[in-house]
Amino acid sequence: MAAKKKPRVGIKMDMTPMVDVAFLLLTFFMLTTQFKPPESVQIDLPSSHSAFKLPESDVMIITVTKEGRIFLGVDQQQLRVRLFGEDFRLTASVEVESKNLTDLLVQARISNPKLRTVISGDIAAPYGVIEDVMNTLQKVKINRFNLVTELEKA
Amino acid sequence: MAAVESGQPRAHGKGKKHKKRRLGVRVDMTPMVDVAFLLLTFFMLTTVFSKPQTMEITLPPDEKTTVEVAESNLLTLRIKADGAIYWNLGSEKPEPIAFKQLRPELLKRYYPELSGNEQGLLDVLNSKDPLEALKRYKPHPRLITLVKIDREGTYKMLVDIMDELNLANITRFSIAPMLDADKEALLKAGA
Repeated sequence: MAAKKKPRVGIKMDMTPMVDVAFLLLTFFMLTTQFKPPESVQIDLPSSHSAFKLPESDVMIITVTKEGRIFLGVDQQQLRVRLFGEDFRLTASVEVESKNLTDLLVQARISNPKLRTVISGDIAAPYGVIEDVMNTLQKVKINRFNLVTELEKA
Repeated sequence: MAAVESGQPRAHGKGKKHKKRRLGVRVDMTPMVDVAFLLLTFFMLTTVFSKPQTMEITLPPDEKTTVEVAESNLLTLRIKADGAIYWNLGSEKPEPIAFKQLRPELLKRYYPELSGNEQGLLDVLNSKDPLEALKRYKPHPRLITLVKIDREGTYKMLVDIMDELNLANITRFSIAPMLDADKEALLKAGA
């Protein structure tokens, strides 16, 4: 007797629930994604155990690079235009001279008193520059500011 | 392929009006689902959940404010340009200290109860939440830390030192410029 060949069974699965879930996730990720703003300078952040989060808006970021150059950035375009001029509307942060920093900080604070000041320095940024920046902040009466760090894995 | 299946071939009648059959429309969803998954993967991979952390500092309101501190209660940390740390209490001679040793030593000074209590110290150092662990001990009431970093040093030193101080629950410290006098003191101490 020849063995009967089994007929191939066409399996049809209902994919609907999986697709539903996939779309749900897709919507979630699409809505929560925040694209990183283009950074004009590359910074290696130091790490710390501090757990304060960086505020989302109304921040003014003073970036200090490895070479000791100072960049000032604000998150609102309006304020950017007022501080640096129309050309810099879309520039995330603008290089500033150490001696102009005082005026710019005062102007920024007048335009938006809610502004929070944040210093984001490179690991290898010279301490002298940071010290100068902190002295400037103290001079313009910004007594509370934050240092941006990465969370240390420990 | 968006295959639209017509139900059944329509029977052709002559001159007779046919009632239209309901067509079972089946659209092939595969390409759409493919694209959806592609986007899903893209967004999942690009999403950054971690926001950068920050450390908060509050400076005294005016440069002219002076706080009188007895010298014996003043703990000075001096950091040289090469990252070597020297510390002294009051008018003692500055002594070198390794970065690793900094926190235990600071804890011993700030929490007198911990200075003879090796086990307690280890518990605090190894605990997941040092600030919580430190709540059991009474801090030294008047000790003030002064941090002096060489201008030639790097920003990392400041953050590292501040981090250690924060972990030791030392919230009152001041940052002062490193003067020539400080450098001389370090030289005298054999640095």
